[in-house]
Amino acid sequence: MSGLFRWIENRTGIGAAIGTCYNLRLPGGPGCRYVLPGLIGFTFLLDLLSGLFVWLFYSPGSVSSWESVYWLQEHIWGGWLVRGIHFYAANALVVLLLLYVAQLVFFGQYRAPREFVFWATLGMLGAALGLMLTGDLLRWDQEGFFSTTVRVSFLTLLDNVKPGLGGSLFKLVVGDSEFGNLTATRFLVLHVGVCTGGFLVLWLLHGWFLRRPAAAAEPECSGPYWPGQALRDTFAWLVLAAALGALIAWPAADPANAERAPGSYLGAHLGAPPDKSEGYAAARPEWAFLALYEFANMFQGEQKLIPIFIVPSILVALFCLMPFIGYFRIGHVFNVVLLAALFAAAGWLSWKCLEHDWQNADHQKALAAGHDAAVRVKQLATVQGIPVTGAVTLLREDPKTQGPKLFKQHCASCHHWSGGTDKDIRCEEIKDGKAIDKSSAPNLFHFADRAWIAGLMDPKRIGGPDYFGNTKNFRKGEMVSFVKDTFADLNDEEKKQMATAVWALSAEAGLKSQREADAKDAAQIKAGRALLVDDYGCTDCHKFHDKGKLGGAPDLTGYGSRQWLIGIISNPAHKRFYGERNERMPAYAEFPDEPTKNLLSPKAIEILTDWLRGEWFGD
Amino acid sequence: MDKPSSPACCCCEAGQPGPSRRGFLGTALAVLLGLVGLAAPLVAGVMSVFSPLRKKSAGAKLVRLTTLEALPEDGTPRKYPVLIDYADAWTTFRNEPVGAVFLRRQGDKVSAIHVICPHAGCFITYNPGENSFFCPCHTAHFDLAGKRLDEKSPSPRDLDTLEVEVRPGGEVWVKFENYQTGTPNKVVQA
Repeated sequence: MSGLFRWIENRTGIGAAIGTCYNLRLPGGPGCRYVLPGLIGFTFLLDLLSGLFVWLFYSPGSVSSWESVYWLQEHIWGGWLVRGIHFYAANALVVLLLLYVAQLVFFGQYRAPREFVFWATLGMLGAALGLMLTGDLLRWDQEGFFSTTVRVSFLTLLDNVKPGLGGSLFKLVVGDSEFGNLTATRFLVLHVGVCTGGFLVLWLLHGWFLRRPAAAAEPECSGPYWPGQALRDTFAWLVLAAALGALIAWPAADPANAERAPGSYLGAHLGAPPDKSEGYAAARPEWAFLALYEFANMFQGEQKLIPIFIVPSILVALFCLMPFIGYFRIGHVFNVVLLAALFAAAGWLSWKCLEHDWQNADHQKALAAGHDAAVRVKQLATVQGIPVTGAVTLLREDPKTQGPKLFKQHCASCHHWSGGTDKDIRCEEIKDGKAIDKSSAPNLFHFADRAWIAGLMDPKRIGGPDYFGNTKNFRKGEMVSFVKDTFADLNDEEKKQMATAVWALSAEAGLKSQREADAKDAAQIKAGRALLVDDYGCTDCHKFHDKGKLGGAPDLTGYGSRQWLIGIISNPAHKRFYGERNERMPAYAEFPDEPTKNLLSPKAIEILTDWLRGEWFGD
Repeated sequence: MDKPSSPACCCCEAGQPGPSRRGFLGTALAVLLGLVGLAAPLVAGVMSVFSPLRKKSAGAKLVRLTTLEALPEDGTPRKYPVLIDYADAWTTFRNEPVGAVFLRRQGDKVSAIHVICPHAGCFITYNPGENSFFCPCHTAHFDLAGKRLDEKSPSPRDLDTLEVEVRPGGEVWVKFENYQTGTPNKVVQA
């Protein structure tokens, strides 16, 4: 056996190389002050290993990056854990390197003969920050995507120095004229190739430089690495691993998460996929760059060159020169003061940024909207599956997500959608802090459900602001006077009767929310239909199934149903609806055969309709 | 390693002269040949990395966004997504959103403002309370015509306007293109 070992050792020299590591002399003997380099190596290995597994599942591309990360996070057994380790280890790496740089400077260990040790450390810090920046985009969620677009667009500031320079750099980084497939592949190579490879080389060099005879300590006042320091190192690794584990597991302590699948809340963050037509108002850089972000906000226009390029370049140069500056006693004091001031300033700026974001209601609202979109898209992706056009399509065609936006854009200049909820859409103008109602048409909140129809048939409400009160002609029209005349003084029995008529008309809509009630009350609904036709005489003006005629007032057949709503939105002036008496509602799809002439696409009208009817997947 | 290297191995002829002209030439030749060998893959690699610089802009696209009558008459700006067919490297997307513009109607005239803030590329929002545009990333304010409102605006230029064409029948078409951010002049992003 020993012969075999001797043979391997003779041919490879591995044993001796390992021996030099273990016999490394540490000035003053083993101690906690020597823990950081080993800990950085350990953290990097964690990052590297977990990164390899993340890479195994990652598919770079504008409609596959987010999708593959989502798949790893929620559908691969243990995927969330791999992502969690990768994310937290990467952040820990930056923290540890900052601490190590501070240690080297404060204790004067950056000076001769350890200049190269210090430079290698600075290089590692740069690579770790590079990993953070590139990794931010690779998730391809709206947070990472839109903060990266801002970051990369700062390159174009250099056009102020030399026209064309910034634009060219931008294209080189992005790989195209806009963010897309080629950006994803470029950032992946920067992340796993350039930054990771660079870090690995610098880490090995750092260890080599540390063991150079010049940098190592004299034997008389030193102790060996093995076993005292090795024990301390492994203990520190365990502590770090436990801390990362605790950070990853932390959300599980919340009882609200008890029922949820681990992939949906543990591991690393994944927001909603980015939509290039919507943007994301709460985009911020990663924590290590918050101070720079805040600092850059103090400058305007072309002056942004100062915080983005000039000051960081000067600082990098100063840090690289530190070993020479520190050659003099006063120089060392300067270095220490510079570092302390920088840390203090960065801490203060970061805090300021967090503080005013916290106090900014709009920012918090954008964060909450981003959170909702992320939850929603994952829910849809899990149930419906992701189409080839990417997960962003799921949100774009989701009535729950797009309905309110379409309503705000196309309907809310006349209609409210308002029922005392936090999602209300009001058609109003704010003047001197007061909201002035600008609506000129009925409130469409829960349109055609029993409560809405009951309000329509209520003599006190039909002429009010939720129905025809703000219209031009209808408020004095036949319908309003009919309701006021017919339903003004009902006794209890008549009121009960009328309720069945309300149910009958509401049942025409076939709303998802009333499906059970409609089935349960089938008998009353049948009676209510007879009331509508025979007793109230609705069919004198309206068509209702085989009674009445079109052309007088809107068709009550299928009132509020999907097909009915698509029809009235497409063309309210059709004889099935208001005909010539239509006031100012535009026809959103007047020309079925010439789609480019229409205001809204058939798909958009369907989405709007489904949202108005409360028909979307889930809740 | 630290010892001066001496020809101790068996293949070298003993008694070779030390540093000589031949030795120098040999070193130079080896370095040169090595560089030539490396150059081929390096040049190919650099060419591919720099390929985006050769890409020509697809040019502005005329897009139909809405019709005149759908725009509020009181001049309130309204945001419209821009959907076009476009190629993202090897994938061609049909009718996909690539950006958005704010349209504003004054009489029969329509003006269009790009939603991208010229400062750093964030999306501006319309603030109905103050009747102005606002960029949430670095807090720049603009009036409805796109003029900067802050005394010291983060933005180097006013918001970018786009060419609008109102066709007979009221169709509103916009010439959509993106501009570089961060510069005082409006430069088309090629």
